[in-house]
Amino acid sequence: MEPILQIRHLQKTYERGREHVRALSGVSFDVAEGEFVSIVGRSGCGKSTLLNIIGGLDVPSSGSVVVRGRNLAAMSRSELAGHRRSTVGMVFQSFNLIPSRTAVENVALPLAFSGVPRKNRPPKAARLLTGMGLKSRLNHVPSEMSGGEAQRVAVARALVNDPVLLLADEPTGNLDSRTAGEILDLLKALNRERGLTVVMVSHDEASARRVSHRLVRLLDGRIQAQVRLRRPA
Amino acid sequence: MKMDEMARMAVDNLRKSRLRTFLTTLGVVIGIGALVSMVSFGTGMQKNVTETFLENDLFTSLQVLPAKADAERIRGQGRMPAGRPLSRPDSIALDAAAVEKIRTMPGVTVAFPEVRFPVKVAIEGREATTNARAMPSVMGGFKPFDKLQAGSFFESDTARSVIISPRLLRNMKFVLIEPDRPRKLTVEDTLKGFRSARPEELIGMPIDIVTSSVDFSQLMRNPVAALSGGSDLPFAERTTRLRIAGVAKQSDGFGQGLFESGVILPMQTAESLPRLGFSSVWDLLSRTGGTESYGTVYVRVKRMEDLAPLKKSLEDMGFGVVSIADQLEDFKKGFLVFDAVLGAVGTIALVVAALGIINTMVMSILERRREIGIMKAVGAGEGDIKGIFFVEAGVIGFAGGVFGLLLGWAVTRVANGIANIYIAREGGAHAELFYISPWLILGALVFSVGVSLAAGLYPAMRAASVNPVEALRHD
Repeated sequence: MEPILQIRHLQKTYERGREHVRALSGVSFDVAEGEFVSIVGRSGCGKSTLLNIIGGLDVPSSGSVVVRGRNLAAMSRSELAGHRRSTVGMVFQSFNLIPSRTAVENVALPLAFSGVPRKNRPPKAARLLTGMGLKSRLNHVPSEMSGGEAQRVAVARALVNDPVLLLADEPTGNLDSRTAGEILDLLKALNRERGLTVVMVSHDEASARRVSHRLVRLLDGRIQAQVRLRRPA
Repeated sequence: MKMDEMARMAVDNLRKSRLRTFLTTLGVVIGIGALVSMVSFGTGMQKNVTETFLENDLFTSLQVLPAKADAERIRGQGRMPAGRPLSRPDSIALDAAAVEKIRTMPGVTVAFPEVRFPVKVAIEGREATTNARAMPSVMGGFKPFDKLQAGSFFESDTARSVIISPRLLRNMKFVLIEPDRPRKLTVEDTLKGFRSARPEELIGMPIDIVTSSVDFSQLMRNPVAALSGGSDLPFAERTTRLRIAGVAKQSDGFGQGLFESGVILPMQTAESLPRLGFSSVWDLLSRTGGTESYGTVYVRVKRMEDLAPLKKSLEDMGFGVVSIADQLEDFKKGFLVFDAVLGAVGTIALVVAALGIINTMVMSILERRREIGIMKAVGAGEGDIKGIFFVEAGVIGFAGGVFGLLLGWAVTRVANGIANIYIAREGGAHAELFYISPWLILGALVFSVGVSLAAGLYPAMRAASVNPVEALRHD
C-alpha cells in the first residue's frame, strides 16, 4: 500500500543573521496509513522543523514531502493553506487556543475557513468536545480550563475538519505526568479506534515508546535510527 | 471565507479592544466632521446665492444699457480705449421709443426704464434717506414682489402708494415684530427711540416722500454761489404724501441685487414727482443728446430659455446687455475654488485619521501575531487574514463616516445658530449658512470608507505575511 507520507532528502536551512543554520540535512522516511510514528531526539535536532514542514507551516529548502500523493514542496501558498485546512490537523505544546474564545468557538474556527455553514459549526464542535469528555467545558474560555482540558480542546480542533494526518508537536510538554499520560492515551485511542495516522514529536522517548508503532530518532538534522516497536493493526 | 464571515470576525475583533476602536474611530469622526462642516458651508453659500437668484427671478431678467462699452465697463471686463469720446456717435439712444421696441420683442413680458432717485422719507416724523425706485404695477406679479410681508403691491401705475423695505423701516427706527419671532424692545432700544410695529399695522399709514430738484433758474442767476456750495444751494424740496401699500420681505442678507432700494413707487406717480432726473453722471451725459435717454432698461422674459436669444438680438442692435445669469457662472467657478479649499482642510483632518487607523492596526497586528499564527495553522489563507483586517478598517471607516456626519451636522447647527444671532442683530432674516446635500452625505461615507480601506491596506498585507512558525514559537 502506498504510504500516506513520503519524505525524501529533506533539507532545511535557516538564515539567522549572517549564519546559515542547517535544521535538516537529508531526511528520508515513510509513514503508512494508520501508523503512529514518534520523532524523538534532543532539542535542536530539527524535529519541530520537520513537523512544521509536514504540516505546511514551513517550506523545505530542498527535497520532497508527499502527502497522499501531493508534493508540498511544489504547492503554492494558498494550496498550503488548503493542506493545513483539510489534510492535516496540528496540536502544539502550548495548546495555541485563542484566549478570548470559548472551547466551542476555538474548535469551530477551522470550519469557518473551510466553508462549513455557520449554523452547522457549533453542533459539530460540541459533539467532538463531548466525545472527549469536555461536555461541561463547552462554553469556557481557555483560562478557565486545566492544561489537560485545554490540550483536549486543541486535539478536538485539530480533528474538526476530518484530517488524514494528525501532527502533534510535544503535546505533553506543558502537562504534568498524569495528564500527559491521559493525552497520549487519547492520541493512541484515536489512532487505534479511528485508524487516524499520527506523527508525534517528543523529547520523552519513554512515553513515546509506550504509544508508538515506530520511533524515528533524529540527531543534528539526520535520522540516527528507526526503531520498530510493534506492528500497526 | 465569505465576506460576511470576515465582517463578523472583524467586528468581533474590534469589540474586543473597545477603547482602541473607539479612539481610532473618533479620529475618523473628527476628520469627517471637519470635512462635512467645511464643505457644507461652501455648498450652503452657493445654494443661498443661487436661491437668491431664483427668488428674484434673476435668471429671467436682464438689463439693457445704451452701449456695449458701458456693459463691459459695468462688468469690469473691457477697457475704454483712451481718447475715445464717452458718448459714441454710433450708440443708439435708449429712449422711450427703444423701450417700446424692446417690449414687442419675442419672449419679453416686461420692459421698463430703471428710474432711481434719492429721497427723504418720513413716517410719523421718523426720517431716513434712501433711494426710491419706480416700477410698473405688473411687477407685483413677479418675485420677489408677489409675496410681501404685509399688504399688497400697488394696483396701478398711478396709485398714490408705495412699497417699503424692512431695512428702511429699521433705519427709521421701527422694529418689526414678526409672528414667528416675537421679540421685545429693550429699555436701551426704547431710549434710542426705537418703536415696535407689526408689519400689518403700517399698511395704509401715510408716508411723506421728500424729493429735491435743481432750480435751474436760480442756478443760472448765480452759478458761482451754487458751485461754491454755500448754504443757499439752488435745490428745491417738495414733500408728497403717499400711503404704504405693502412691506417687502426681509432681505436675507445676500442683497436683493437689482431691487435694493428703500421705497418703490408706481411708475407714473414717480414721474410726476419733481426730482433730480438722474441717478448717475452717465444719465446726465446721455441727456445732452436732446431726447431723454435712460441709463438702464429692465427687461423680464417669460422663460429662462428666452434670455439668450433676446440678449443676442439686443446686442446686435447695439445695446449693452447685462444679465446676472452670466455672472452666476463666474460665481460658480469661484465657489469651486472655495469648496476645494474648505475640502482640503477637512481632508487633512481625515489624512491624520487615516494615519491613526494605520497605527492602530499595526499595533493590533503585533498584539495578535499569535492569533494570526493560529488562524493560519488551522487553515486560514492569506486572503482570509487580509480580508479580516481589511474589513476591520472598513468598519472603522463606515462607523467614522456615520458619526462624522452626525458631528458635522451638529457643528453646522451650532455655528448656524451663533451666526444667526449676529445676523438678527444686524436686522437680517434668518439664514441657513450650511447645506448638507445628499451628495455630501454619500460622498463623505464613500470617502471615509475609501480612506480607511486604503489605510488598512498595508496592515492587512502585513498581517497576511505573518510567519506562523515564528508566531507560534512557544517562548
